Amino acid sequence: MIPGSGSWLILLLAAVGMPTPKPTIAGPWRAVLDQAGGPLRFVMRIGGQPGAWTGVLCNGPNCQPFSAIQPRGDSLVFEIADFDATITAVERNDSLFGFYRNVGNRGPRVIPFRAGRGTWAAEPASPALLGRWDATFVSDGRTSPRVVVIRNGATGIEAAFIANSGDYGIFWGGASTTDSLDIGHFDGTFVFRLTARLDGDTLRGVFHAGLRTQTRFTAVRSSGARHLTPPTEITRADTATPFRFAFPDLEGRMVTADDPRVRGHVVLVDIFGSWCSTCHDAAPTLLDLYREYHDRGLEIVGLAYEVSGDSTLDNRLIRRFRDKFGITWPLLRAGINVVEATAATLPQLQGFTAYPTTVFLGRDGRIREVRAGFVGPAAGAQHVRQVEELRGTIERLLKEP
Amino acid sequence: MSSGSRLPRLAGLVAWACLGTTAVPAQQIPAELARQRHEYAEWLATAAVSPFAALVQRPLGGGLTIGPPDTDIPLDSLVQHRLALRNGVVSLEQAGSTRPVARGRPVPLGRYHLVLAGGGPGAAVIVYEAHPNHFTPPTYYPYDPRLVLAVTLRPAERPATRRVLGPDGQDVEASEAGTVAVTVGGAAITLTVRRIPDPDGEESELEIFFRDASNGSGTYPAGRFVRLEPLGVDRFRLDLNRARNPFCAYNTIFACPAPWRGNAFAAAIPAGEQYHGTTP
Repeated sequence: MIPGSGSWLILLLAAVGMPTPKPTIAGPWRAVLDQAGGPLRFVMRIGGQPGAWTGVLCNGPNCQPFSAIQPRGDSLVFEIADFDATITAVERNDSLFGFYRNVGNRGPRVIPFRAGRGTWAAEPASPALLGRWDATFVSDGRTSPRVVVIRNGATGIEAAFIANSGDYGIFWGGASTTDSLDIGHFDGTFVFRLTARLDGDTLRGVFHAGLRTQTRFTAVRSSGARHLTPPTEITRADTATPFRFAFPDLEGRMVTADDPRVRGHVVLVDIFGSWCSTCHDAAPTLLDLYREYHDRGLEIVGLAYEVSGDSTLDNRLIRRFRDKFGITWPLLRAGINVVEATAATLPQLQGFTAYPTTVFLGRDGRIREVRAGFVGPAAGAQHVRQVEELRGTIERLLKEP
Repeated sequence: MSSGSRLPRLAGLVAWACLGTTAVPAQQIPAELARQRHEYAEWLATAAVSPFAALVQRPLGGGLTIGPPDTDIPLDSLVQHRLALRNGVVSLEQAGSTRPVARGRPVPLGRYHLVLAGGGPGAAVIVYEAHPNHFTPPTYYPYDPRLVLAVTLRPAERPATRRVLGPDGQDVEASEAGTVAVTVGGAAITLTVRRIPDPDGEESELEIFFRDASNGSGTYPAGRFVRLEPLGVDRFRLDLNRARNPFCAYNTIFACPAPWRGNAFAAAIPAGEQYHGTTP
């Protein structure tokens, strides 16, 4: 246990290049963001040494490195550059206290943060909670459908949380009692928590977003009947004429539908963004499909819709995404990640709504199928079924003359 | 801006942080509210898109030129740029290069920042100049715990949306969240609550835009916003000490929201953010 004055001393010693005592913040931290409705759990793992800390922010099994960890006054600033966000904290009595913060146009978005040593105990869900639930969200009298798929993973409950526009990435957490659920998703920008309790056969709960937003929902066990709009029925397409596009690759060369890697091939067009956590979930599946079908004639083209619109910055982010997964198919800088701006660059799609969206082209270049969103591995059987459907579509197109 | 001119402002902030709460015992102000006010003052003082830093706002229309004196938005030391609207996409063009511009995201432009605000035909361009030089930190009435109310939100009779100006003076589609009934200073009033959405995402704020008898003599003439903070199912805290000014109080380039029908206290509410200016 190191009192607060100790961290002052360490920072001072680090600043003047003196030998430093052993690291004070290295190790795992069980952290929370305190939303109005309660604590949202996550984990930080810190390594390195004073003046050269490194670390990762973990949302359940998914960890992303902090872009930097810098001292500022008596605080440490954990930078999350992808989202222009920081966690600023002071260390006292083996605890960290501070704030998660990013900046908006209406003011700062600030959420209290605290952490203690260690990791969260894995808390599996009781069997009564496992499986697929059809949820109905209610906000100001209007309803919208979601699906929650709950299973037990290595770190406790893992859940997929799916809307018509795709899934929100993995939710993770625990259950304090056999009939309740408390799971969250914090990836540096999305601050989501889902709390619910079984009431007979109905799961009743609240979806917490950011500091104050709370949306109530009820969920019933899925009967297998359709609850969400099927992903192939969300975005419509002009199937009468070949799919046309023209976007620069990462070297600035314009790539069009006439490119020899596209023309005459079965093509999977992946509309994605490096900022999109679901797109990160989808990339390993695309790599598997590419390895399995490339020799038989499948090509993949990635159309990246990025945050800034600045070619240098956006290309850097796309390269980082490419290198993270070892992607070898062309990634093109197609535009910015605003739904209407993306839609305007792809006039042959109507009702574009989700990142990622997968467009399948036949050898004649015409669109055969458009699939909105991606259901990540957290959804278990539904994810497996989706991969089988993707495979089925590719097999069918490869058999076309 | 040099660090020399930045220091007095920061010194002012520190002075405000130390002195601004001397009117009442410090322990009466929740630490979380003091912190929130400090963060907000810092954001107003330093953010590239602080309302104090806004120079000009113009409707986008079919497009705009920016830069030299003969352009739609003349800005010192900036070569000519053009904001073009084509097929629903706004692009910033300069000397043959083009980049798309996303609504709400600041685009650096020399020593300026440009933000595309609002959407559709109401889209506007706001230009911010780095480091506002006329910043004055907000001041607040002494904290009054009697103006912290626990309220029940009575949902709207039927789902409805309405286009209103948010606290930042931008046009948004708000949903009618319902009403809360409160009694302040012996007078009962039912206040309309609207949900102001975040432009990209799942977050929103339950806001009340209200007027009271202090408007124009201590508080901003057009009225103030206050948020509901969740306490449980349909229960919220309405803390009038958290009343805050719309951005039009800081800078006249922002439009002021029209009053929300019925949201007018007969009495003065001497709590929350003050206003020392002379013009609305």
